[in-house]
Amino acid sequence: MSQALFQTALYASLALCALGLVWRASAWFLVRIGPDVREITFSERVAAVYRGTIAALFSRDLLGLAGAFFLDVLLLRRLFAHEKLRWFGHLLVLVGFTLLLSMHALAPLVTANLFQGYQPTLAPYLLLRDLCGAMVLAGVAMIYFGRRRPQPGLAQPRRPLGMVFIALLGFVLLTGFLLEGHKIASPRAFQRMTERYVGYSDAQELEPLRALWASEFAVAFDHLKAPIDPGLVAQGRKLHSDACASCHARPESAFVSFPVARMLAPVTGLLDAARADVWLLYLHVFACFLGLASLPFTRLFHAVAVPLSLLVNAAATNRGYSSAGRAVQRALALDACVRCGICDARCSVAPLARNLGNAGLLPSHKLIASAALANGRLLRPGRESDALRAADGAFLCTDCGRCTSSCPAGLDLEDLWQAARGDLVAAGLPAPAHWVQERPALDWAESLGSGCGLHAFSDADAACAPLSADRNSFSRCVQCQTCTNVCPVVAHSIEKADGVDLTPQKVMNLLRLGLRDLALGSRMVWDCATCYQCQEICPERVRVTDIMCELRALAVQRLGAVRGTRGRS
Amino acid sequence: MKYALFLGCKIPSRLPAYELSARAVLGRLGVTLVDLEFDCCGYPARNVSRDAFVLSAARNLALAERAGLDVLAPCTCCFGTLRHAIRFLHEDAELRLRVKQALAAERLTWSGNTAVEHLLPLLAREIGADTLAAAVCAPRTGLRVAAQYGCHALRPSNVARMDNPMAPTIFETLIRATGATPVDWPRRLDCCGDPLHEANGPLAASMTRGKISDALESGAQAICTVCPHCHLRFDAVPAGAADPAIPVLLYTQLLGLALGLSAKSLGL
Repeated sequence: MSQALFQTALYASLALCALGLVWRASAWFLVRIGPDVREITFSERVAAVYRGTIAALFSRDLLGLAGAFFLDVLLLRRLFAHEKLRWFGHLLVLVGFTLLLSMHALAPLVTANLFQGYQPTLAPYLLLRDLCGAMVLAGVAMIYFGRRRPQPGLAQPRRPLGMVFIALLGFVLLTGFLLEGHKIASPRAFQRMTERYVGYSDAQELEPLRALWASEFAVAFDHLKAPIDPGLVAQGRKLHSDACASCHARPESAFVSFPVARMLAPVTGLLDAARADVWLLYLHVFACFLGLASLPFTRLFHAVAVPLSLLVNAAATNRGYSSAGRAVQRALALDACVRCGICDARCSVAPLARNLGNAGLLPSHKLIASAALANGRLLRPGRESDALRAADGAFLCTDCGRCTSSCPAGLDLEDLWQAARGDLVAAGLPAPAHWVQERPALDWAESLGSGCGLHAFSDADAACAPLSADRNSFSRCVQCQTCTNVCPVVAHSIEKADGVDLTPQKVMNLLRLGLRDLALGSRMVWDCATCYQCQEICPERVRVTDIMCELRALAVQRLGAVRGTRGRS
Repeated sequence: MKYALFLGCKIPSRLPAYELSARAVLGRLGVTLVDLEFDCCGYPARNVSRDAFVLSAARNLALAERAGLDVLAPCTCCFGTLRHAIRFLHEDAELRLRVKQALAAERLTWSGNTAVEHLLPLLAREIGADTLAAAVCAPRTGLRVAAQYGCHALRPSNVARMDNPMAPTIFETLIRATGATPVDWPRRLDCCGDPLHEANGPLAASMTRGKISDALESGAQAICTVCPHCHLRFDAVPAGAADPAIPVLLYTQLLGLALGLSAKSLGL
């Protein structure tokens, strides 16, 4: 391989990688998630990271940090707790890849200096190279097959260039094994090695050695096809032990490449003629460079962001961070998430997400929406329905904390959700109780096109709110006001300017009058505490509270349909 | 006695002391608790979709039925929601069909055999207040506490089926069993305000403060709770000179102390 080309490509990909890393890392200091960090500047965040790093490095925390590095980063403890197969896959990739990178790719710098007389053909390097490659391959397969299936009926979250990274890694491994296999099978490689290390001038003298390597080590000589004369092979063995054995491990110890060599035997002549050893090496090396250059832009970036996030969180146990620190922590979380789906599977509102058909309730989708909201994409024209669904999802979260406790990257997702809800409110996308009350009840009724609130029940309404659809459930109301008298909400809002507009008995009366749409946006319906005092005491056994709950669900559905962008600021 | 423990969302994330003390006390009293992979009871979806809320609840009931267990819900709101879902499923055949189909997609069925129980009747009736009183070795004599039932433990009474919704005594009886004295407070059956804290913060705070000052004026030294929502609510409302705070104690903690369990094992 041309040194100049190699060097140029190496430095170009290193430079691209470095620039990409700087670009990605800059986001941690610029992206704003949460109203509490909106005012925090770039320099304040840099200062917070600097102070935090110094504080962590020169304190007793360092021991805890070292522990976190060992257990969380190297041994992937958090992944082990939830997904054994994927954990094992990651460990295989981590070990295999690190060894290949340091001992094989950087062999002239590392291995040659550590081990005297290092040659790639020597035992155990021949075996170890294949072993590491096989580990990475097996690991990737485990990660792939151990992956979480998407929630039934819900879209898979968008993943950060997942396949690009896998394809590159697979290509590097494939070309590596092919190159090694081809070199084992190649008579040209045999000739080069013997010229260099055996040194016989007469080609005929090497014939026994060729016979041995052809019969036992899969070198695909055109003229030496089975059956090979055993006498010749026996002679070759003598030559082999004198000239080769001391410096060359038995090729079959490359337990993946050797079978590849056998498979390549029929085309080895062609490959040799086409100089496959050269272009396979180019492909192998340049795929590695491409992987290096694209690291900041593919899913492999989680190999940088997750360890960082784990360490940052370990240093900030119990949320001991300033707002500036939290700002960085949240932005980092967006990059550390690979949408592995463990949180989605553990999410306690996942059944609600499936039933409502809104993936926006699931943690991985919420994280994507948080990022889209932070960079403004979610609020662009044309994405109104995405934004509304994201808000619907965000405000149904129960903060149960299962996503946080199961996140293998150790992300403080609860903090992220809380921050994101703040951003949604600021963007004019609050919880239903708030967006409904942004407009007076009468205004909503007009938007529904029902004039003063008269509206016939559709079947869908009846299924969603059967009590309010059935006049038998409220027509018994005699307007005795007992419900109003016991209502704590009425009691607490009396004489307050922003008190409830109606009373429970008036809501029932609207239903009796067929003016249900007028009730949908009323403060009484949305300020109901669902304490069931009214329902319990009603002398006519009207299910007042159950009806209030139904009216809210109906309001979310019907008013949501005509909500549009009007409420946005 | 064996139950599937339905912790819900609030207890593990916000009030782990409730889980700790409930396990400690019930363990001492010989109740076996089984942990199943429960999800949200459905409560948050009540304002959004009746189907989604009932389905989420029914899914949990089906999980318990598959394990052959009844459900014990220490959270009063989860208790109420699960019970409401059962009621809706019983009275609405079309809803029942939709839920059945949705459950079938997950190879689950619910034939209506799961009972949902609350801590108060479990302790007062299944185990018995007398049994509790006999097991008490460190009576909390002289402690005056205000029993906070929580709305969904009592109302609607045909769903909760716990006690007389206008004049309940079950909680006070259980408090007496620990040696403590229940106080009579006019607002004991009122809402704590928690369901409104996101929709209308000032209104919620006004309701909570009203209850706290009522408990204090009635001579209570602490409010005793059996619901994480109520409990956290009383803890969360900021106190001031005009709005004094009051200690909040979970009933499982009060009982645990009376049973001689260590404060640490009760999350105190």
